[in-house]
Amino acid sequence: MADFVQQVVSGLATGAIFASLALALVLIYRATDVVNFSQGEMATFATYIAWSLMDRGLSYWPAFALTLVLAFIGGAAIERVVIRPVEHRPEIVIVIVTIGLLILLNGLTGWLWGAEVKAFDSPFPNETWDVGGVAVSVQDIGTLGVCLLTVLALWAFFRFTTLGLVMRAVANNPTASRLVGVRVGWMLALGWGLAAVLGAVAGMMAAPTLFLDPTMMLIVLIYAFAAAVLGGIDSPLGAVVGGLTLGVLLNLLGAYVDFVGSELRLPTALLVLLAVLLIRPQGLFGHAVVRRV
Amino acid sequence: MRKLLLAGALVAMLAALSTATAAPEITTAPSATPGVTSRTITIGGTFPLSGPASLYAPIPRGMKAYFSYVNKRRSTVDGKRGVYGRQIVWKFYDDQYNPAQTVQLTNKLILEDKIFANVGSLGTEHNQAIRPLLNSRKIPHLLVSTGASFWGTQRAQFPWTVGWQPDYVSEGRVYGRWIVANKPNSKIAVFYQNDDYGKDYLNGVKQGLGSRASLIVSEQSYEVTDASYASQIVRQRASGADTWVLLTTPTPTVRAIATARAINWKPDQIVINSVAATDTVMKAAEDRAGAAYVNGSISTAYLKNPTNPKYRRDSAVRQYNQLMTKYGPSGANRADTFYYYGFAKGYDVVKLLYAAGKNPTRESIRRATQRMNWANPYMIKGVVTKTSRADSFPLDQIKIVRYNNRSWSEVSNLFKGR
Amino acid sequence: MRAPAPSTILKFASFGAAVVVIALLPRFMGEFRLSQFTFLALYFIALLGLNILTGYNGQISLGHGAFMGIGAYVSALLILGRPGLALYQLDPPGWIPLGDGMTPVYTIPIAGMVTGIVGVLFGIPALRLAGVSLALATFAMAVALPTVAKRFDSVTGGGGGLSITLPETPFGWDISTRHWLYYEAWAIAGILFVAAWVMVRGRLGRAWRSIRDGEVAAVSSGVNPALYKTLAFGVSSFYAGVAGALLVIEVSFVNPDTFPVSLSILLLASAVIGGLGALSGVIFGALVLEFLPVYAQNPPLLPFDFSNQAPAVVFGAGLILIMILLPGGFAGLLRKLGGVFNGVLRRLTEGGRPMSVSSTRRNG
Repeated sequence: MADFVQQVVSGLATGAIFASLALALVLIYRATDVVNFSQGEMATFATYIAWSLMDRGLSYWPAFALTLVLAFIGGAAIERVVIRPVEHRPEIVIVIVTIGLLILLNGLTGWLWGAEVKAFDSPFPNETWDVGGVAVSVQDIGTLGVCLLTVLALWAFFRFTTLGLVMRAVANNPTASRLVGVRVGWMLALGWGLAAVLGAVAGMMAAPTLFLDPTMMLIVLIYAFAAAVLGGIDSPLGAVVGGLTLGVLLNLLGAYVDFVGSELRLPTALLVLLAVLLIRPQGLFGHAVVRRV
Repeated sequence: MRKLLLAGALVAMLAALSTATAAPEITTAPSATPGVTSRTITIGGTFPLSGPASLYAPIPRGMKAYFSYVNKRRSTVDGKRGVYGRQIVWKFYDDQYNPAQTVQLTNKLILEDKIFANVGSLGTEHNQAIRPLLNSRKIPHLLVSTGASFWGTQRAQFPWTVGWQPDYVSEGRVYGRWIVANKPNSKIAVFYQNDDYGKDYLNGVKQGLGSRASLIVSEQSYEVTDASYASQIVRQRASGADTWVLLTTPTPTVRAIATARAINWKPDQIVINSVAATDTVMKAAEDRAGAAYVNGSISTAYLKNPTNPKYRRDSAVRQYNQLMTKYGPSGANRADTFYYYGFAKGYDVVKLLYAAGKNPTRESIRRATQRMNWANPYMIKGVVTKTSRADSFPLDQIKIVRYNNRSWSEVSNLFKGR
Repeated sequence: MRAPAPSTILKFASFGAAVVVIALLPRFMGEFRLSQFTFLALYFIALLGLNILTGYNGQISLGHGAFMGIGAYVSALLILGRPGLALYQLDPPGWIPLGDGMTPVYTIPIAGMVTGIVGVLFGIPALRLAGVSLALATFAMAVALPTVAKRFDSVTGGGGGLSITLPETPFGWDISTRHWLYYEAWAIAGILFVAAWVMVRGRLGRAWRSIRDGEVAAVSSGVNPALYKTLAFGVSSFYAGVAGALLVIEVSFVNPDTFPVSLSILLLASAVIGGLGALSGVIFGALVLEFLPVYAQNPPLLPFDFSNQAPAVVFGAGLILIMILLPGGFAGLLRKLGGVFNGVLRRLTEGGRPMSVSSTRRNG
């Protein structure tokens, strides 16, 4: 029994990492209607910046804060420079652009910092509590906590602030928004900036466990996509639920179903992605898109 | 209808033209040994310089630094620069760890760059992919950078292919024997990468344990696509094991250690395979899991560790540091084991080139690979690069090393893995 | 029948010229170049297929590398046959129809068919997906394939993969193997190109394009989207399967690392660079795909230890730039040039009369 609970707990920890990145994906999708294939690489890049700052002597929280600021600026800049010219082009063009970003950022990360693995500090103490035979690390609780806080903050932002309302309006109907005087372009940039911030947070939460190397988020991105789709690509709550569910599911399947073992965990996650897309494309919490004729 | 006729006509035209103009192979008479001129000797290899396995990228650069040194210095053998007066031209390409690219780039090396021999190429499957084509063309396939055991065991089938580093099975055996000798009552948990690399190691460990193979109470594997190993390591903890053998590549090693620490599992003895027991890995692991956790881990080594204080005054290590500063890429991290590995390999390559004689041919170097017998100063004292007609494993001696206070110290005599 | 536009004549002429050039090229090329051009042919085939699916039919596929992989494995398994696999200690389940080993050239259409069927099977559920969802689903397939290939190693040889021997020139022809492989690849490429051309110009192409441009409108004109979309998947994956078979024959080796996700991504990127929805640019996409990775290393003007990550940075940046500046890819560029050419020719031949309204009509 303790083993089962431990697997669930560990699954939640991994799931929190998926959820964090999924949140960034969901935010960009909700705010700008774009599926950003380079989200993971943006997160990795931001995490490396944080690492560099700390390597040069900055302590954790100042580095963390500065990284978030830089990530915001970077994300907004990317939207203005790279995405704006192709905003109105067919979807495939935008997909290719985000893929180009993925390739570029991945190469840049390797170029600037090399491929050697590096440790990354955690803001949480390196302790583990023993709860009835189950080990629960403070780092994991912290990551989960940050994740939930972020969802809460996002929800509050979209629900209660004017800016959030405006962003929702822009995502929903850019033309109408423009007609009432909203600077649509800047709202989109804001969306990318915020998503970059979320990605940076995700990266910095994941790095203590996953360790920092240029491929850190490549695989996580795939799981994050599965999580976001599962939860609903336009629902932040869905992203978190999806991520946690996925983490636990994969752990349990891997531990108890021999056929899956550890070998088929990734394909299982992808199967989940496919199944959701086919059976219930809006995911658990998303909004169904009705095609009007 | 018209369109179909048109299409048919085009296809017919295509077919006719193709067959009519199929040019017979332009065969030129085999000239002097390819890759060898009076002034140069060209060798080449393929490596993952970018992409997922790019942490091994320093290897060909380390080799290049050594070759640059040889090309500039005057030899003690005949006073000439290079090897018998020939400058070594070293070409290496990035195959991005994709065997299809390896094949294409190897063809490029053979056909365009006209290499004399393929040297040091990295990757087990990658070398497997090019082994048939190199052997069928009788091109030496030397000192491949992988520890798979079949380069040695399949020498008779593929006489032109030679491995170099102590193979994974041998290394695994040494761990097995060490455990039987030093911790005969331990319970062993093995965590291995689920591919030929990990399985080779595991095989070796079991062979080394021999009749005590039942000491293994938990065998768990992971995929490189796993985002977390918690599921497996929880199992390992639950097995009650007190000795943990890690047969993993660098990044998964630190992750595993951090994961174990995070679930409060501290095995009494950790064994880390040599590929992952690099200073970078240990530092990262120590940063997250703490010194107390990683101190006491054992591994094996055949190369001198250039950051080990014991070797600070060692002339070979000092030379390595000087030459890397002079000939290596600017800003290179000399403490990166893979530069040193490349350097040490470069030494053996040059020895082989000398052994091939003043007028080297591919056959002469092939024969030289069966008569290797020298001590490489970059290796731990006592290690000999040695082959014979019966022994196709150039390096098979390793020492147990133990990690303490940020460095690996040698704690045993030399084991012979084969 | 109207006289064809000058740019149409130019197109046929270029095709004819290309055939001649391809047929004669080996006289001037060394063996390695020949091998590169063989790769060019098979990438060309894969990109033709991808263009049909994504360009003409509007279904985004980030999974064509996986289809190529399926074709490669099918071909390798058939070439080895049970006796060959036994040498690897592999014993696939009895229900898989493997013979005793087949001449490589015959495995190509079979690999194509099998992959085509897989494509249809994938295309059926894919009917429910569109746009980025489809991209994600195909991406998932591309990611899953290497892992699945490793898992079922009793059939696929797992991580170690399958090695086949370089085929001999069949039918007793007196040319070297490399030459044979080159002509084999280009002959197949030519046939498939013509087939693609016939398909897109005809009813299939019109149906595909109408679905792409507005599925609802297409339905109301009597086109059955399910049929044509599935067909597009099938045809497109057939092409990819053929390309994969040619690849394994050329390289003599297949394993999960040979068809990584990056291949699927690069295929789509190259298809877009070549230009979607037009056949004229596909060869440029293939040229980029084949030659860029090799020549991005050791670029002549840069010092030797210039980071090897630089090509990735340049490629990523280049991809973005091309999307911004030239979203129609090379084909778009050619079309513009074709329009200019038409216009110039018309002005020259009609001597001063005002240009007709349709002087820049769309071709293809």
